[in-house]
Amino acid sequence: MLERGLEEKFYVLNLGPQHPSTHGVLRVELQMEGEFIVKADPDIGYGHRGHEHMAENRSYLQFLPNLGRVDYLHALAYNQCYCMAVEKLLELKVPERAEFIRVITCELNRIASHLLWIGAYLLDLGAFTPFLYCFDDRENILDLLDRVTGSRLTYCYYRFGGVPRDVDDDFLAGCKAFARRLRSRYRDYENLVNKNVIFLERTKGIGIISQEQCVKYGLTGPMVRGSGIPYDLRKCEPYSAYPLFDFDIPVGSTGDIYDRYMVRYREMEQSLRIIEQAVDKIPAGPIMAEKVPKRIKPAPGEVYTAVEAARGEFGIYLVSQGDTTPYRLKLRVPSFGNLSILPEIAVDTLVADLVAILGSIDVVVPEIDR
Amino acid sequence: MATAAHSVSVFGMIAGLIGVMALVAVNALFLIWMERKVSAHMQLRPGPMEVGWHGAIQTIADALKLLGKELITPRDVDKPVYLAAPIVIFLPVLVSFLVIPFSQNLIIRDMHVGVLLILSFAALTVLAILMAGWASNNKYAVFGAIRSVAQNVAYEIPLLITLMSVILMVGSFRLTDIVAAQNRIWFVFVQPVAFILYIICATAETNRAPFDLPEAESELVAGFHTEYSGMRFALFFLAEYTNMFIVAALATIFFLGGWRGPFLPGLVWFLIKVYAIIFLIMWFRWTFPRVRFDQLITLSWKILIPLALANLIVTAFVLKLV
Amino acid sequence: MLLNELTQALSRLNLAQVAPGDYAKTGCHLEVEAAPAQMPEVARLMLEKGCFLESLTAVDFPEHFTLVYHFNHFRELCRTVVHARVPKEAEAPTISHIYPAANWYEREVYDLFGLKFAGHPDLRRILLPFEADFHPLRKKFAPSETPADA
Repeated sequence: MLERGLEEKFYVLNLGPQHPSTHGVLRVELQMEGEFIVKADPDIGYGHRGHEHMAENRSYLQFLPNLGRVDYLHALAYNQCYCMAVEKLLELKVPERAEFIRVITCELNRIASHLLWIGAYLLDLGAFTPFLYCFDDRENILDLLDRVTGSRLTYCYYRFGGVPRDVDDDFLAGCKAFARRLRSRYRDYENLVNKNVIFLERTKGIGIISQEQCVKYGLTGPMVRGSGIPYDLRKCEPYSAYPLFDFDIPVGSTGDIYDRYMVRYREMEQSLRIIEQAVDKIPAGPIMAEKVPKRIKPAPGEVYTAVEAARGEFGIYLVSQGDTTPYRLKLRVPSFGNLSILPEIAVDTLVADLVAILGSIDVVVPEIDR
Repeated sequence: MATAAHSVSVFGMIAGLIGVMALVAVNALFLIWMERKVSAHMQLRPGPMEVGWHGAIQTIADALKLLGKELITPRDVDKPVYLAAPIVIFLPVLVSFLVIPFSQNLIIRDMHVGVLLILSFAALTVLAILMAGWASNNKYAVFGAIRSVAQNVAYEIPLLITLMSVILMVGSFRLTDIVAAQNRIWFVFVQPVAFILYIICATAETNRAPFDLPEAESELVAGFHTEYSGMRFALFFLAEYTNMFIVAALATIFFLGGWRGPFLPGLVWFLIKVYAIIFLIMWFRWTFPRVRFDQLITLSWKILIPLALANLIVTAFVLKLV
Repeated sequence: MLLNELTQALSRLNLAQVAPGDYAKTGCHLEVEAAPAQMPEVARLMLEKGCFLESLTAVDFPEHFTLVYHFNHFRELCRTVVHARVPKEAEAPTISHIYPAANWYEREVYDLFGLKFAGHPDLRRILLPFEADFHPLRKKFAPSETPADA
């Protein structure tokens, strides 16, 4: 594999699988000329666990905890998508209160994911301190979610037909308090990071992705929104209770790293808006659908559902043949498609830029490997 | 004072050397603790708290741990060079201490080429980094070494030129003369541009963030010392912190009036000023992201060197007029 | 309307089926059946209309594989699913020269199902180790009884 197309004047630099900037076990094989990259070839699969194969070998409910381990940073969106797929097959109607709870927790989780990304990304750029600030804020979310879901990272909270445990008033008050707290921190982030000259120099005009490339590579999430395409499934293909809330889709203009950074940064504010509205409007009522079958055995058919996860569109393609296990379950993960553009945009950049570009894709490697 | 320095006895030299060794060790221990505390408090955490008062002797515990670590020598390294590099990086920083005036009398040898001695020995650091990077037989290490050479060459020039404008005013390379010339006003007020330029160049010279490209963690793993472990790694670490002390000491001597100050003894004033400068350099590190390599070189050749030259010319012009 | 436009354009291609889908039930607005050989044509048309390749996967049925392509559009929601039946041991033509996104998806299908794509520039395994001698998502595949670390 190493010999492929290797010319004398180039040499190979192995970035990963254990490297501080690959965020997990991702390996990028770089052909270099000096510090310039001639060819970048991502090598994935180091963390392949066979989730899709597991799905075919266990019951619908048993597969639910796996979803939290596909993308551990935005686990609740993955919960949501799988529950939606099965609910569609079973034709279950989720009660409104449960939908609201799902929206609140899912958006909290999205903010946590973005905060972690911002911290880790600035670490890639060599700024250590913002990382700790982000983690300090993220800690509040983890505490909040810990109260309702019982876990801090690999959540498995939603069930087919609703959620298993109701939220209390303390949690709702905590959400509001968190929104106030995060807003009070914006000034620090803007002064420390968003206006920093070195940060702007490192990110502006680097790793530009055109709208045409977005279409060809099937990119989703902040990757396309950074390039100016307002594609956000919460608006484009409204699901759950999202149509009830008022929020914007932040988009960039040039499609460089800076735009993708700003899209994620601004999305946190939009998520806060959704959370606040949901907390204000949350209705009373049941949290589980009435007739959830004990043995989940959907009628034959196939379904594709998609949700907007922190990294982009997460889709599930589920084929049922009327059995207690899925016949086929495909996880369409956003990072997989998003990473596939790396070979194209990495050419003729420096190693430092590659690290910045790779970071801006926001890969979660276990999600790619599945 | 100059004659006294020339008649330093052999005994004095040995005592001085022991003193320097002690200073280097204590300084490094203190600086590492200080860095951890400074970074921690900037990052909303307390830092080391367990060993000693507020973790004061944490570094000693760490040093002992490093001493106990296995010294791994990878199979394919260029052995003599690989082993020599940590020593080569450490010797020049020791020599620099010979000429630094800690107070009016506390100086091992007051040479009339003091500045030149420090700068020329500081240039040897590059050689050691290059040796370490090349001998490690590791691509990341070579990367770090190449970057280090380009960076140090680029930043030594403006560093020297900024110092030249002060030397021009004093008319001597002797460090005690430079301090003596600031009996009325510190040069930082006379030469503010030179001071700022010097701090930037000094940060780059010591490979500190935002110019820490030779060991840029997120790009080059650990740069030139990727393959070093145990005490060999500690020697690189020690050299980095001692280098910081030296550039801060030079800044103190050239711009902040050296040991001068009211009430307290000269040595105390000197150390206060040095650590204040070091705190400033640490502050940079924990606030800024890292620059990219081409931006770093561009900054030096296109901005710092012309600015430093302009400053030198203006200084010379003003001196001629006065 | 993109849906009408796509329906009209696709029906000109002589495909086995172009029918509106039951969105509430399957999540797709348009359901298409095509022969694998027609896929490059379909893909080219979808790209012309500005659709992106949302997902590409396969399902292993007892008699044949079914390749499942999902297309969607960034500006107007219109999910098109294309099913293409590939007989066992047959090859399907690649669409990676039209949609670069398909490059990795096809490698994944090859990796997990052993279904080969003719004309793919770089058909290597992608998730499993290169020396693996099995395709785990085939229904015939049975994981070995020995623990995973053996």
